[in-house]
Amino acid sequence: MNANSSAERIAAKPRVDLAVWFAHYGTLVSLAALLAIFSLARSDVFPTVDNLLNIMNQISILGTMAFGLTVCLVMGLFDLSIAAMATLGGYVATLLLVKYTDSVGVPEAVAISIGISAAIGIVNGLIVSYLGISAFIATLATGSIITGAMLGISNSKTIITGIPDEFMAIGQGAIFGVSNPIIIMLAVGLALWLLLEHTQLGRHLYAIGGSAEASRLSGIAVKRYAPFALAVCAACAGLGGLMAAAVLGAGRPQGVGDTYLLNAFAAVFIGASSLRPGKFHILGTLIGALLIGVINNGLSVLGVPTYWQYIVQGCLLVIALFSAGVLTMRRH
Amino acid sequence: MSEIEAHSAPAATAGAVLSGCDPDAFLEVRGLVKQFPGTRALDGVDITIRRGEIHALLGENGDGKSTLIRAICGASAPTEGRILVEGVEVSLPTPQAAAALGIAVVHQHFNLVPQISVCENLFLCESMPRRAGLFVDWGAMRRRAAKLLERVGLSLDPMTEVGALRPDEAAMVAIAKAIGTDARLIILDEPTTALLPAEVSILFGHMRRLAADGHSFLYVSHRLAEVFEIADRVTVLRDGRNAGFWTRETISRRAIISAIVGGQKVWSEEALSAPPANGAVVLRAEGLKGGRVEDLTLELREHEILGIAGLPGSGAEEALDLLYGRFAARGGRLNVRGKDVVFHSPRDAKAAGLELVPKDRHAESLLPGASVRENISLPNLHQYLADPIVRFINRGKERAEAGEVAARLSVKMASIESPIASLSGGNQQKAILGRWLASGAKVFMLNSPTAAVDIGAKAEIYQLIREIAASGAAVIFTSTEVEEFPRVCQRVLVFRDGRIVGQLLGKDATESNILNLAAGGADER
Repeated sequence: MNANSSAERIAAKPRVDLAVWFAHYGTLVSLAALLAIFSLARSDVFPTVDNLLNIMNQISILGTMAFGLTVCLVMGLFDLSIAAMATLGGYVATLLLVKYTDSVGVPEAVAISIGISAAIGIVNGLIVSYLGISAFIATLATGSIITGAMLGISNSKTIITGIPDEFMAIGQGAIFGVSNPIIIMLAVGLALWLLLEHTQLGRHLYAIGGSAEASRLSGIAVKRYAPFALAVCAACAGLGGLMAAAVLGAGRPQGVGDTYLLNAFAAVFIGASSLRPGKFHILGTLIGALLIGVINNGLSVLGVPTYWQYIVQGCLLVIALFSAGVLTMRRH
Repeated sequence: MSEIEAHSAPAATAGAVLSGCDPDAFLEVRGLVKQFPGTRALDGVDITIRRGEIHALLGENGDGKSTLIRAICGASAPTEGRILVEGVEVSLPTPQAAAALGIAVVHQHFNLVPQISVCENLFLCESMPRRAGLFVDWGAMRRRAAKLLERVGLSLDPMTEVGALRPDEAAMVAIAKAIGTDARLIILDEPTTALLPAEVSILFGHMRRLAADGHSFLYVSHRLAEVFEIADRVTVLRDGRNAGFWTRETISRRAIISAIVGGQKVWSEEALSAPPANGAVVLRAEGLKGGRVEDLTLELREHEILGIAGLPGSGAEEALDLLYGRFAARGGRLNVRGKDVVFHSPRDAKAAGLELVPKDRHAESLLPGASVRENISLPNLHQYLADPIVRFINRGKERAEAGEVAARLSVKMASIESPIASLSGGNQQKAILGRWLASGAKVFMLNSPTAAVDIGAKAEIYQLIREIAASGAAVIFTSTEVEEFPRVCQRVLVFRDGRIVGQLLGKDATESNILNLAAGGADER
């Protein structure tokens, strides 16, 4: 009887199911629809190469952070410390450059600030794996500690003067007309895509996210992966904050990452509802980040008040998750 | 078989009494039939439960016990037959109707909320006493709870959180909750699964006292030894029919086991005709202990299919987990292919050439959202690496090997990239076994590999197990279905209370012999 029903399932496969199709391509369709609507509404401003590059530039920090977040969500770990981590990444880099002007160059400052972020990510992972605290709470705690530490170290003062131009070039320069942040985002995305899709490590991350017990019984050292995934996420968040500092030309000790936290989660979850419903993946995250960027850019080009951006984004998130959820519900 | 006939005499006389109206009966069930599409789960079942007796209901999975319970407690209406409570015919369309007549069920996990107090749990289903119709009157509730606990003989602060109770106390709270709703007949469905032996005897003490007060119990359990200890009368179901009835005076372990097992063919030609296992020793355990396992001593040879049998909680299933390093050993020695080993995790066990197919496919072995390919290649990704540093995976090679394994096991699927969730249970299980064929494991440990698998796939999986052994690997097999051992294994070790209490070889490894050893014993009654 079971064999029969599986045969039926196989036979039923070629029929296009609208809900299944929507779950896979719904976000792409809405992205295309939004692009078309905005292009028609403001054909003079919106559909230009400059504006499209502008959108990419606007989402580059968000995208970089969201890619990192994808890696730990693949394992089922929520990282709420990315906001504080971004603040840390930008502030530490500028602090080093200003305070140790002679001994620390831009490459060292970048390496140290991302290194510190990654190290805190490893601590997050150790707390999760070996103290058995859920990532949600553990990263909430470390995020709070980082926020406090930054305020203490900085005396709440923003670093503005003395930041070298080489550092600001990270955020403001361009190669062949494509701004550096876009290139950084795409490079991070490509690297993490290769990691998740094509290496043993990435496959193990997906396996653990799917079933930790099955992975453990298959001989995977499950506990070693949380520190890795959270370190990757933290490094990306630190890098994102560093890019923000370079764009701004200032090292702020608070509030840099907060704007990115919810958008990064939104991008990753919208991504999990595209192409491969129910699965977090880098390409999906890119689509999610683009969708957010297009909405924000398009609405502001149309002159719609800013608050609408939040409302539209929230609605979109619900629709995206529902369309992915419909499929999961039908599967069982 | 002869034993069954010997004991059918008391069953017949008892039956004669029952067909009249038993003046002591609280509940009488007559000719109950439950027809499901395609199967008849109950086919004319009779059972009489007297006031103040502990009546055991036995039978294998799928023989109708649950269906009978569901009919008695009003969860599903029977197709035919009569149910009488205190001599009056009743209909039980809903659980509430059954509860109103004094019939309550205590399920295996007691249906208690662990985070709140005993007191709140006792009054969860009825309205709590209140002040001004709004606020819970804690004082009154506490007094009522204390009175109820006193009635069942439990000295316990009613404000204790249920999660902090011992399992036997939790069981008694569940029983108290039933008595609080004036239950006269309490159906206990596998209440001792989570209980330790000492806790079981405390629970039995309480049950006997409540029975003396006139409460009746219908006791359902797999643990035969406990049934022989507690039951006043025993009813056995087989294939949805009455297969025997015993009173305390006539109880015979052998006869009851024969009735449970029935007259089926008890061993398979294939298992017996397998070549004798005289290969090299691949695994040797001496006095290994951990979890519920107190002493695991065995020797396993190439080509061998060894069964480890035991009733639930005996440690038989844990023995496989222990060998695979799922939890730490507290002592003893383990030797795999001539090397002394200590496994700190399944990873170590896998490296030594062992593998485990756990019992719960969905919770422990499947990657639910992944494809068939990903499920098969899970433990074997290191075989497909394109480079040793970044560890890129050669997906073509991975796909080819997964496809080959799936084809060899004739896994029915649309393609190797289909989601594993789209396969039937049997095909999912074949993919899981295929996972380890591809890994080249030398010792296969299988816990209930045919659970939730249809009959056709079962036969294929048995055949696959034989092929694994024929190819030179060794197999350790355990199952919650005792009837599988004679079909699969050449040698069966029987566990009781964490120790091996006997070994059965070839034709002696029958279901009834296994159950007899597992249930306690050499002391024949």
